[in-house]
Amino acid sequence: MTELQNKIKELISNKTLDLVIGWGNGSMPLVSTPMFIKSEADAEKVIFDPTCRNNLATYLTKDKRRLGKDYEKIGIVVKGCDARSVVLYVTENQVRRDQVFLIGVPCHGVIEKKKIFDLTEGREVLEKKIIGEKITLKGREFEITVPLHDVLSDSCLGCRYPDAREFDLFIGEPRDEVEVKGEFKVVDDFEAKSSEERWDYIKDEYSRCIRCYACRNVCPSCYCNECFVDQNDPQWIGKTPEVTDNIIFHLIRNLHLAGRCVDCGACVSACPVNLNLRIMNKKVEKEMKERFDYTAGLDINEKPAMATYCENEKQDFIMG
Amino acid sequence: MYKFKRIYLPEFIEYLQKTYFVFAPVKSGTETEFKQITSFTEIDQSRLNTTISPKEIFFPRSEVLFTYDEDGIKTPPKREKPAALWGMRACDTRSMRILNDVFANAHQMPEKDMFKDPYWIDKYKDCLLITEACLNPLSTCFCNWFSSGPFDETGSDIFVVKGEVDYYLKGITPKGKEVLAGFEKTEKTIAKDEEELKVLQSIADSYMNPPTDLGDLKDKLGKIWDDPLWDEIGAKCINCGACAYVCPTCHCFDVSDEGKGNKGKRVRLWDACMFQLFTKEASGHNPRSNSIHRVRQRIMHKYNYFVDNYQKFLCTGCGRCVTVCPVNMDIREIIKQILDHKIEKKDK
Repeated sequence: MTELQNKIKELISNKTLDLVIGWGNGSMPLVSTPMFIKSEADAEKVIFDPTCRNNLATYLTKDKRRLGKDYEKIGIVVKGCDARSVVLYVTENQVRRDQVFLIGVPCHGVIEKKKIFDLTEGREVLEKKIIGEKITLKGREFEITVPLHDVLSDSCLGCRYPDAREFDLFIGEPRDEVEVKGEFKVVDDFEAKSSEERWDYIKDEYSRCIRCYACRNVCPSCYCNECFVDQNDPQWIGKTPEVTDNIIFHLIRNLHLAGRCVDCGACVSACPVNLNLRIMNKKVEKEMKERFDYTAGLDINEKPAMATYCENEKQDFIMG
Repeated sequence: MYKFKRIYLPEFIEYLQKTYFVFAPVKSGTETEFKQITSFTEIDQSRLNTTISPKEIFFPRSEVLFTYDEDGIKTPPKREKPAALWGMRACDTRSMRILNDVFANAHQMPEKDMFKDPYWIDKYKDCLLITEACLNPLSTCFCNWFSSGPFDETGSDIFVVKGEVDYYLKGITPKGKEVLAGFEKTEKTIAKDEEELKVLQSIADSYMNPPTDLGDLKDKLGKIWDDPLWDEIGAKCINCGACAYVCPTCHCFDVSDEGKGNKGKRVRLWDACMFQLFTKEASGHNPRSNSIHRVRQRIMHKYNYFVDNYQKFLCTGCGRCVTVCPVNMDIREIIKQILDHKIEKKDK
């Protein structure tokens, strides 16, 4: 049994926690599934590996009955990004720090399904093996071994805080900020294109959106009781999945995430049609960094960027 | 049974185009979707299942029901030719037949003539469904739970198997037989061909996971409506509509008026029981207020309510929802969990 399983078992058996949210094995080789652990037997099924891509913090706000009513204190297994989402919730007064028990796990990145798809040219993976830094994918007529790094999510490759900085318990030794190169490369490359090219790309990409709202619903930072797209009095946006309304949905979501996106990549991995949802979120993140020197979810005592004002802030967007 | 050399596919598509608009799996970004094709070169044969099911050919994601302006109301022009679908899978073909029951053939209703959907019927009535056998089923396929399989011909007009050098074709309906008879390049199959077909089918069948017996599912569901089991099943659902939107049998829709000034249109759009807004009432009350209620609705509709009305499941085991679910809600596991569940007797 792993140390993580043991600790969760202990926390449940001594009644410190009555619910722990973690990951368990999924029904397919490259997929894990969120798990609601209430018993010692459940605790034995907990896993943590590069398939654990869901941001579990999202469950704290998705079902408001859960916290405070059904459970006094909830434990969550957290990667760096999950922990940042919890910090964000605390700064936004959605969750009290003492309501959650954070169990940090050392994260070395999670797998992005699109990269697997590209690698196997769409063929189904029936078995995976991760040994050290390498991953082996097996299907009916192929076997491919590549460095794990090659199939990790872009969010992970540009992540400076892979381990939780806010935690109650950490399995192993947490790393503080790690150095990454080209954190905003995806934005820089995109900005280097002409405005026509950028517009064409956005139009093509978002025209494929089917408006299933998986991106919004897995997003830990999207927790409005009623999203603007669901309001019908007034109706802000056409419900038709046509490119103009799709773009309005995505761009407004991008702006609503200003100073709030932790770049966990949950939206990217949730999208059933594999839209590139990261580029615009990262652009907004870059703006927040440059203008306000603000990165979401790092400091539990900091006010949210959009709820505070400093006199020395750059105001060139107003003053011209 | 007929066959033609695989190199004659372009000609066959052209032949179909004389009578039909031909739809086939086409690459769209990283995904594959059914789209109208002008040439066979657009067909994407690399994937077993399209990401979005072919239902959108007859039941589009958004469909203008009518437009209005100062001169009055106009209905949009009808499709000039019926649709022929190349590259359907058995699960999707059966799904289209199920949807046709809903939209055009609500035979179980006492007022049956009231429930005929002209928009569906116009697009569907003369369509040609060409099912291609699945030679390489996915691990997520579970059509065999529904007495089907990779070589199931049910519901097809024409059934096709892609062999080493030939396409083998079988006309199932009179319409399908007539279409095949009119194509010059076909020849009759010989004993050797039958051998190849048998081998292909046995390989495909061997790839399928063993089926689960669904004999008790409907009755079991009828007994567990208020069982705490649903809390367990529904807890991790995040209530997006990905499963319903990729599903070939989900067919709930919303109607929306989009207008400005004196002009506008009424549109029918896909909707999903997974959304919070789906059952929200004007008063603000929501009878299905949380994810657990909504997941129960989805499962009950597919495997219980629908069986009451149509004597069949509203699911054909295509496995798309299994693949796309962001939190790995695997409908196969949910069904097994329900079947294995022991109902606790209530004290009364």
